[in-house]
Amino acid sequence: MLTLAAAVAWLPGVAALLALRRPGPVAAGEGAWIAGAGFLLGAFGLTLWMRVLSRFGVPFGGTVIALPLVIVSLVALAYAWRRDRFDARAWPARLLQSFQARDLAKWERILWFSLIAWLALRFALLAAEVASRPLYPWDAWTQWATKARVWYELRHIAPFARVAEWYAAGGSVYFDASPEYPATMPLLQVFTCIMLGRWDDVLMNAPWWQMAVALAFAVYGGLRLLGATATAAIISTFLAASLPLANVHVALAGYADLPLAACYAAAAIALMRWSRERGPRNAAVAVVLAIACTQIKNPGWFWAATLVPAAVVVLLPRHGLRVSMIAFAAVAFAIAAVARMKLSFFNYRLDLDFDPPWRDLFQSYFLLGNWNLLWFGVVVAAALAYKDLFSRSLVPMTMAVIGGLLFLFFVFAFTNASAFIADQTTVNRATLHLAPLMVCYMTLAYEAFARRFSSRESPTHAPA
Amino acid sequence: MLALFACALLVLLAIYLVATAPGAWFPRAAAKSLTQRDFSMSKGTGRLFAQPHAGEALLVLSTDETGIAVVSGVTDLRSADYPIVAWRADDLAADADVRMLWRTDVAPAKVNSINLGVAGGGLAPAVVAHDPNWVGRITGVALVIRGPLADPPPRVYGVTFRPGGIPDALREVVGGWFSFERWSGASINTRSGGADVQALPLSTLLVAAAILAAGGWYAWALRRGRAAAWPIALAAVFVAAWMMLDVQWIANLARQVAETREQFGGKDWRARHEAADDAEVFKFIERVRDKLPAPPARVFMLADAAPLRGRGAYYLYPHNVLFDPFGNALPLAASLRAGDYVIVYHRRGVQYNREARRLRFEGGGSVEAEVVMVEPGAAVFRIV
Repeated sequence: MLTLAAAVAWLPGVAALLALRRPGPVAAGEGAWIAGAGFLLGAFGLTLWMRVLSRFGVPFGGTVIALPLVIVSLVALAYAWRRDRFDARAWPARLLQSFQARDLAKWERILWFSLIAWLALRFALLAAEVASRPLYPWDAWTQWATKARVWYELRHIAPFARVAEWYAAGGSVYFDASPEYPATMPLLQVFTCIMLGRWDDVLMNAPWWQMAVALAFAVYGGLRLLGATATAAIISTFLAASLPLANVHVALAGYADLPLAACYAAAAIALMRWSRERGPRNAAVAVVLAIACTQIKNPGWFWAATLVPAAVVVLLPRHGLRVSMIAFAAVAFAIAAVARMKLSFFNYRLDLDFDPPWRDLFQSYFLLGNWNLLWFGVVVAAALAYKDLFSRSLVPMTMAVIGGLLFLFFVFAFTNASAFIADQTTVNRATLHLAPLMVCYMTLAYEAFARRFSSRESPTHAPA
Repeated sequence: MLALFACALLVLLAIYLVATAPGAWFPRAAAKSLTQRDFSMSKGTGRLFAQPHAGEALLVLSTDETGIAVVSGVTDLRSADYPIVAWRADDLAADADVRMLWRTDVAPAKVNSINLGVAGGGLAPAVVAHDPNWVGRITGVALVIRGPLADPPPRVYGVTFRPGGIPDALREVVGGWFSFERWSGASINTRSGGADVQALPLSTLLVAAAILAAGGWYAWALRRGRAAAWPIALAAVFVAAWMMLDVQWIANLARQVAETREQFGGKDWRARHEAADDAEVFKFIERVRDKLPAPPARVFMLADAAPLRGRGAYYLYPHNVLFDPFGNALPLAASLRAGDYVIVYHRRGVQYNREARRLRFEGGGSVEAEVVMVEPGAAVFRIV
């Protein structure tokens, strides 16, 4: 039933991406992108459908949730097939061909298969852990699965509220540690339990593992579609999938940070594809994934906002960079002004007591075992590729990364969250939202540098 | 390039070991240890505490009236043979004031002391080789923790007197990298990447070796006109270094999975909870649920310890539970209404007067209630 639940979550997204794709031969990595981003879109779509059902008073059930989604997916698949008829029988052979990677050099093939085996081992271990351990981490049982448990039993979405409202409501609303947090992840847990036919706070966390696998596919496919070689893409996939803290969030499932990170990275990749291929298809995918970010966790609103400068440079190729930079400055100025009022956003209190704990931040990013060598790699790649970062092909992702880093810097420097660096709590979870995208960015930046460097140093370009 | 990287790694590690290993490079003495059972509490209180997987520890429960707890043990060892003292402790507050005391046969009446650094809840090894008071034979050692103590209370597993030298330093460094990092409440937020306290993190060594190898390779390649391949060489080193860190993480994960399967494997949902670390709360709430009406009843979950309060509340859903996730506040009696349930689980400040049928909350008034269930340290009341 878990497989069926995953298939129901996966199918609508895959069908939507197939229906949206430009007719023509399958590009390198497109299958992986559709598989990965398809799950993220499909899972989000599934929860939207559950919200609709609840809104209209239809009790949750396996058939009532899954059947309409499957039917709509089949219609979308039929549309995709009609528009661009492909030979379904040829697909297995084509997939096998891609997997065998015969066009790679021998050393690259060895690396290719080694990394795939390594990834398979990792996901097998994570699957074993997530399928065995009852709900473990703190917020999972104080603010996420609390909702899932209530909605599973009631078969509809019941409101959660803060203490004062809880008292005032006289039993018509529920309470947990973060009643205002969005419903997406609890609804995925509810759906998994409905498909299982019982409340099971072990197996209901399977979507976290599925998200991690989907992210790996999306990273590989996305980078291939953005021009990375198969070797660079599989290495990046390995790097993104092996971020220790991301793995922890699968093994100890129940927090919304990894799903947010997956949707954010996929949204940025879709945005990059939009900048290169144009047309509304990739823009639509980026927008839906950005909306998904906002519906996974409240900080997702800010993360989605960091994609706006990237979109601006795509929409305004000539002046977008200047506009975005002015916007960054204006936002910084506005924050400085607002901070004087000591306002609170999503439980974070703004103030101007600028005192970021640099030492602890350095420890978190560079010395502890959360990120392997990610931040060393990002710094080196950005330094080596400094001439390429604002090139036409990279600038949208550069803007997203700048926006993301500024957001993190702002949160840690100007809000009470700076205390969470010193005690190593929220600092890494907030960083996790950006980390998979940083892996992609590092790869694309380094590839740009490598191309430039190699052409400069190549003997064919040497002066006579 | 990868060979160069491996060489750089070995050379840097060797330099580090030679530069930092105290005492003779290859000492003859073997390490000596005291375990938690060799200690007594000379000040404050404590008890032995067996934990699944982590082993037995001395749990330091309270300090004396002057605010200190002292864990002491008797030794008989030659100070010159043991330049390093490593206490194994856990759950110490980050700002805890912790010192090691010792006596020697040279000045038996004198108590010597040294500050111990706290990192990640544990203690950094103390290098005592150059301490002028580390002389003669060491006849006793003690660990002094100045309160208030952390919650959960500190645990002391033992102390090891290390002979120093290169083999010991190598064992310490590599052992630190591959020290098992079991899941804990902090795991979702951060990973140490091996032992909590590491003098030489693996990532630091790998980066230093990568810089050395990349620089060396570039200089070599430049002279041979092969510098165009430098980006690939640098990427290869980076990926190799990443893989080495990942081997450490995968090994840790595999060990954790084995432990998890041992604890939960082959069990159904209920049995898994009954085997979990919070099994007592789960079983208690299961008994409570039998006494409650069909959901959703309004239920107040009270417990002094935040994890017990939160876990208890979680197991009570889909009842309409109220608990304090961030503090330990008691409800106001006036805010309760007939038909509400109050669950008290290891919570001070709540009294019940059986004759008057009044449930009283410290500082919050009282309300008429009946007892639904009573267990040692726990009770369930129904407001009438």
